[in-house]
Amino acid sequence: MMRRVVTVAAMLVFAATAIPMQPVARAGAGSTQLTFTVWTFAVDTIKENINRFQTRVPNVTVNLTDYNWGQYNDTIVANFVGGSTVPDILYSSDHWLQQWAAAGWIAPLDDYFPQARELAKSFAPYAVEGMTYKGKLYGFPYYADPMAFMYNAAVLRQAGFGAPPQTWAEVLEQAKAIKAKGLVQYPIGFGFSLDEPFSIETVISMVYSEGGNLFDKDLNPAFDRAGSAMVKTIEWVREALRAGVMNPESLQWDGVQAGNAMKGGTQVFFITRASGLWELNNPQFSKQAGNFQLAFMPGATHETVGFVRFYAMSSSVPRRGKEALDAAWQFLNYFGGPGPDNNYPVVRRWALDFGLGFAQLPLFKDKDIRASFGRWVNVERLESIGQKHARVKQGLTPWFAQWDVFARAELQKAYLGQQTAQQTVKNLASKWNELRRR
Amino acid sequence: MARANSRQRLGPLILGRATARPRGRLQWYAYLSILPALCFVALFAVYPVAFSVRLATHRYVLTDPLNHPFEGLRNVAEVLGSYYFRRAGLTTLTFTASVVASVLAFGVAVSHYLNRPGRLAGFLRVAILLPWAIPVVMAGIIWKWIFNGNYGVLNALLVSLGLIPSYVSWFGNPILAPLTLVIAHVWKWGPLAAIMCLATLQAVPRDLYESAHIDGGSGWAAFRYITLPFLRPTLLILLILETVGGFVTFDLVYVMTGGGPGDATSLLSWFAYAEIFRFLDLGKGAALAFIIAAVTLGLSLVYVRLLRSEALYS
Repeated sequence: MMRRVVTVAAMLVFAATAIPMQPVARAGAGSTQLTFTVWTFAVDTIKENINRFQTRVPNVTVNLTDYNWGQYNDTIVANFVGGSTVPDILYSSDHWLQQWAAAGWIAPLDDYFPQARELAKSFAPYAVEGMTYKGKLYGFPYYADPMAFMYNAAVLRQAGFGAPPQTWAEVLEQAKAIKAKGLVQYPIGFGFSLDEPFSIETVISMVYSEGGNLFDKDLNPAFDRAGSAMVKTIEWVREALRAGVMNPESLQWDGVQAGNAMKGGTQVFFITRASGLWELNNPQFSKQAGNFQLAFMPGATHETVGFVRFYAMSSSVPRRGKEALDAAWQFLNYFGGPGPDNNYPVVRRWALDFGLGFAQLPLFKDKDIRASFGRWVNVERLESIGQKHARVKQGLTPWFAQWDVFARAELQKAYLGQQTAQQTVKNLASKWNELRRR
Repeated sequence: MARANSRQRLGPLILGRATARPRGRLQWYAYLSILPALCFVALFAVYPVAFSVRLATHRYVLTDPLNHPFEGLRNVAEVLGSYYFRRAGLTTLTFTASVVASVLAFGVAVSHYLNRPGRLAGFLRVAILLPWAIPVVMAGIIWKWIFNGNYGVLNALLVSLGLIPSYVSWFGNPILAPLTLVIAHVWKWGPLAAIMCLATLQAVPRDLYESAHIDGGSGWAAFRYITLPFLRPTLLILLILETVGGFVTFDLVYVMTGGGPGDATSLLSWFAYAEIFRFLDLGKGAALAFIIAAVTLGLSLVYVRLLRSEALYS
């Protein structure tokens, strides 16, 4: 009996000590903890990157959390408002930068790391612009890409078209012909879901491609004028839906779902980040691999949106003191910069393993990256789109994110024919001015 | 009279205890006894409500975190005059009316069926409760897949039965999307209504139905004059629950439609969320939440008054 009591007591003592031992053992003695929040994409790769970072910089331990992309901003806002689970480092986007910075949730890097401004000179200018608020730099690029128009060349050939469409009218014409020949029921599909932050980038790209502007230099709406590029874009989507060449599920799809339709061969035309082509042309993920091509954005000017997603540092880090700031700098430099060995370990890996676009200019000369990209995209065309046709989103202000959310629903109403394009742009302008006054 | 008698009987006992200890000490003991419960209620009910009142009467825009002037009822006025309030209010009323009617009809019909003796009755009484036991978010995800416009099982079934020529975009259509929410809501909450009605029906004396049968009453007459009067109190309770539930439905919208397409499924509760988490205006979000609470409270009071009615039980 006594022996049994001793055995049970020993087991309990072991359990009580072993359970809390795990994280302590991982953290190591004297290690600085950083929490890192991302949206859910290639989380296993992120974990590997963290492990490599911790091996190279053993005095920093990183704890990862991921949230769904569609609800990412809502969740982060809830975290910041609640204050209980504020991360140290987190993914952000040019969409949300000004909102987060104006609320004081994220900290300007150049206030704490003077070397950051110098390093930013090696980033593409549109990316730096997308990470800057009131003259301060708030991030290091995670990836940067132009929005791009892509098509299934095999289906186009079957339909008798030797070249991709050059104008939006031609897109409709080719889509109607493809449908009429019974090749694909819905040749066009975009990610226009209310939860999809890429949806506004798709719309703005279409506006830019027609030479349109969203705002004038004083940030007054320019899209609400009669016959504006925005009005034409709305009417084009409405017509595509009405003619049955755009999948009506587009209003519920995010970019991933629209991409899946491309990969499955049930769709021909698609707008997404240019690096999305890596997955479309990868036989591991796509039935139609090898059939997809990158085209200039149809329209008068072929211009498009260039965007940046980046690593931001929350304001909680400076409050934690020098040790946390040092750890954050090492993290940012490793993940978004050249790292301790000057070889851009994480950015380079994203480019090679996932085809993600980048803003770190020295990598454009990297032979491995050029060879790797050449397997899934016309590199010269990609460079041309990125360098000659990509423009930063207009109207990046602290209220842009709120306006974007409002715009998604208003645009859907117009696409469904519940209100006219003119009424829609009037509502969008009204909301813009209301948010601006607030 | 009976109450007075019982007081007379207990009087000496109570007085005996009260006179044995000082009155002040007894009062302190009573207050001390309820203090933990009071703290609990204050922490989880009074404080959040008081804080919400503060939010609703001040300017709380998160992109302007240091500026919180008092604004009185301005947030309420702005919400009432907002671009979405009338349309979302109408959508909410339509949704609530639809789910209340559907859930009550489902509850009555299913309980009526389950109340009959049968081999499967026992199994069905348990099985019918399963959707109720599933968390709402899970229910939303299940129905989102069922209604999926590209891979959904409902489309596959309807096409294979020849009822529709090709797949339907349930969530992309502003008329069908609200219907999907109603169906999911009824699937989730209908079973509870059915079980509550069944419990009531099992208390109805069988001989009433036999008498009706002997007197030549039809099945409808028995339902109309025996079943329904017994069900009325239960139905009124369900009416309150479902009306409040319909008005504050948020989770199904969040998971299934995101308020779309356009604003076809954007209920008032959705906008309360959107004001706070998407437009970052805590003041307006709190004001809208109070408006929703006032409407549901008003309706509940009307129903409760009806429930208290003597005629209901006569």
